[in-house]
Amino acid sequence: MSTPAVSSVHQALQKSFKNLENCQKVWKSALTECSPLLESLGNLAEQSKALSNVQLSDTPLRVFPDLEDRLRFKLLQAMDTVLGKLNDKLSSLQSVRDTISSHASGVLQLYELHADSLDLLAVTERSATTPSIADMLGWLQDAERHYRQQFLRRKAVLQMLRVDNLSLVESAPQRWKSLESASAEDCITDILCKVSFFMESELGK
Amino acid sequence: MKTLKLLSVDPSDRGSQRCRLGPELMSALGLKLGSPLLVSVPGGSCLCIAWSRSDMAEGFLQMDLKCCSPSLIPHPPTHLHMDCDRLTPVSCPKLKTIKITVVVQSASFKKHTSSSLVHELVKDMLKGVYIHEKHVINLEDFDTEIKYVVIEGIHPDSASSGLITAKTGVEITRIQTVRHYMSQLREEHTVSLGGLDEVSASLREMLQLPLLYPGTLNSLGVSCPRGVLLVGPPGVGKTLLVRRVVGDVGASLMVVRGPEVVGSRPGESEEQLRAVFERARSAAEEGPCVLFLDELDSLCPRRTGSSSPENRLVAQLLTLMDGMDRSDRFLIIGATNRPDSLDPALRRPGRFDREVVIGAPTMQQRRSILSVLCAKMPVCPSVDMMELAQRTSGYVGADLSALCREAAMNAIRENSKGSGAQTLCMNHFQDALKLVRPSCLRSSLGRTELSPVSWEQIGGLDDVKLKLRQSIEWPMRFPEAFVRLGLSRPRGVLLFGPPGCAKTTLVRAAATSSHSSFLSVSGADLYSPYVGDSEKALAQLFRQARACAPCVLFLDEIDSLIGSRSTGQTSSGVHTRLLSVLLNEMDGVGLKTVERRGTERILQAEGVGECHTQEQMDCQEVCNKDVMVVAATNRPDCLDSALLRPGRLDHIIYVPPPDQQARLAILKVCTRSMPVDADVCLEDLVTNTELYSGADLENLCKEAALLALQTENMEARVIKYTYFLQSLRKMRPSLTAQQIHTYQTPLTS
Repeated sequence: MSTPAVSSVHQALQKSFKNLENCQKVWKSALTECSPLLESLGNLAEQSKALSNVQLSDTPLRVFPDLEDRLRFKLLQAMDTVLGKLNDKLSSLQSVRDTISSHASGVLQLYELHADSLDLLAVTERSATTPSIADMLGWLQDAERHYRQQFLRRKAVLQMLRVDNLSLVESAPQRWKSLESASAEDCITDILCKVSFFMESELGK
Repeated sequence: MKTLKLLSVDPSDRGSQRCRLGPELMSALGLKLGSPLLVSVPGGSCLCIAWSRSDMAEGFLQMDLKCCSPSLIPHPPTHLHMDCDRLTPVSCPKLKTIKITVVVQSASFKKHTSSSLVHELVKDMLKGVYIHEKHVINLEDFDTEIKYVVIEGIHPDSASSGLITAKTGVEITRIQTVRHYMSQLREEHTVSLGGLDEVSASLREMLQLPLLYPGTLNSLGVSCPRGVLLVGPPGVGKTLLVRRVVGDVGASLMVVRGPEVVGSRPGESEEQLRAVFERARSAAEEGPCVLFLDELDSLCPRRTGSSSPENRLVAQLLTLMDGMDRSDRFLIIGATNRPDSLDPALRRPGRFDREVVIGAPTMQQRRSILSVLCAKMPVCPSVDMMELAQRTSGYVGADLSALCREAAMNAIRENSKGSGAQTLCMNHFQDALKLVRPSCLRSSLGRTELSPVSWEQIGGLDDVKLKLRQSIEWPMRFPEAFVRLGLSRPRGVLLFGPPGCAKTTLVRAAATSSHSSFLSVSGADLYSPYVGDSEKALAQLFRQARACAPCVLFLDEIDSLIGSRSTGQTSSGVHTRLLSVLLNEMDGVGLKTVERRGTERILQAEGVGECHTQEQMDCQEVCNKDVMVVAATNRPDCLDSALLRPGRLDHIIYVPPPDQQARLAILKVCTRSMPVDADVCLEDLVTNTELYSGADLENLCKEAALLALQTENMEARVIKYTYFLQSLRKMRPSLTAQQIHTYQTPLTS
């Protein structure tokens, strides 16, 4: 417990977990901002679908010239704006992912640096307040994997939207929502709970 | 050496590529957290990173199959005990570039997604993954359309494994769909198939030429065949053959079962059929593809009436098959066991160009099927496959596999009683033979359960027995001798003689001694109130008998069954029509094409250079491919003369009433199971029973025994001579001298 290698790894881990706590907040807020955007995207898609279904010349609106093209242009423009905003949000999600990735790989590198002085006994040693280094490293990687998966799935949903397939755009909000499973987000909370004593205890030092 | 128990992976570890080990084992192998580790399991290997178990327990192994051999994807290893030396630490340098094939879920994703997006996604997914050459990376945990990545090559190629970093270049060589990839994987574990080499070779050639060399055919200006129709009785392995050949050729297979396509609403079935063809077309864009329509007769019955819904379905299939142009590189295979009920429009070149007939297997084919089936079973070396093949005439592939299963079950049952080693012996197969009957005889008219009778159970009649053996047993036993002397097997045997002289019993004994199938028909089986039904039934009977040749077909009381044309007043009666069917079947022009069977052609092509037993077996096959008709009558004068000429019923055997010696033999056989008193003199009885038939003598013994029970109550222990004499006094012989005389005059007069 007292060797310099162990304490340096512990410090790095503690820092990473604090960071993870922040990241979780940023991620959540970014996601909450995303959902109204997606809703409006779905609405726009529904509108343009309705537009292509209706025969404007059969309605009283036929007196307006080029109405269909103009409407379509407006809708597409609105979609573009929404997608631009979503892209901004996506980049903030990406920054969260990148932060966690760099932390996870940084701690692993630090461990590998000290690997010779840290035998498996030291790595797997644990106490009531401090989980073992192996477990904590694992958790950090789990968190990193979780964010990577989430980010990729969301990116794939947005990137695969096409103008010529409106029903795909229309169903995007549902698919986006289905990616948010409570259990997946809970695993991050779980991890943070498991290391809460570790983070506080080290603070006093 | 400690063994490790392989457990299934923890859900939280899924996608992490971790391999959870006990810490002691890790330090014994010199592993740190996160060191790459190659685990070899039966059928492949898996690259993982080592991690300690959170409960520190030793002796267990949990690994995530993120990067493993392709063969492990369809069948992941489970419940395995393995040694520690299966784990080898490997070094994984950072890789500069890799070449990969991407496997995606749907064809539409492949079509519509830009390659740069796929590249971006795949690169993100692969970051930080340890890979091994020729392995497959499972990306299902990302839950996107991209399912797997197959590693085609890595650079630097000095190492066989490495780590992908953000700087590793990723080169996508091609994109495949999961269906296509899985069908490629599956072909590596194809089922083995016995006895269909000839058909499968011709089918394979037909598939391979247009699918693999379309350019050559185009330059020759030949349009390649588009459809093949497989015809054969159920259970011969049509479906299996297609699966096998398709796997060998490396094409992807789409199976359509008739009832699956048919929907309840009008137009629904046609729509589904079009969708099937569309799917086949899109699958064919990725590589050769075969569309297999199983049970085609249910999908496309003969068109009748004007507005039945099947007509539209048939028409749709016809137009779809015509609509296939040369650029569609897929082939249609249909399979049916009722080719006659198909719509004739389907069976023309341009639709189903070729028809391949698979008949019931011959003896050689049965032997190879049996050896394939038994290859995985612990069969005792004393089991003679040849003998089994000989005894299973009329069995198709499905029957043989049922036979092997039944034999294995017998062995298990015996083993559970706690005796002997776990091998299959001949007696297991013999027991199974009693249970599993050939399926081509299952619905047959003449299928009879016959209790075995040995020749010894028939007293006297040695000449007749010899003649019967000559015509039934010898061609089976000594085929080479028959071939050497240019003898052909007799087509038919007629037994005639006074009633009660053991004609039927003789036939039963002959059927028992030769191991051929035995069918027996009586008038009740054949007659029906509908015109033409009886003839059809008789023709069907012959067809079934030929399918399971060598076969003995027994027509008892043939005079009542068939009748004669010369004496009959009604020339158009059922009898005459039946007679004409029988004459045709016995010596007709030829067989129907559907009944074609395997080896004939081979035999004529390669006669020399085979081992002796092989030759003998072949001889036997050739000599015994016909049906032997055995008829019995006690009114030979009523038979039509056309039936009696050589080539039909060649051997006409008179079964005489028993003479003195024969009667003695019969009495001995009859009294064998009876407690006869010591003073009974059988010779004396023989002299008193002139003109008694065999049946009479048996009745005499029965009467005597009953008399004994009657007079001495139920306590009788022995049958005394007086009882025999008393019952003899009551009885009259059933034959008369005049009757015997008419039989002995030559038939032709």
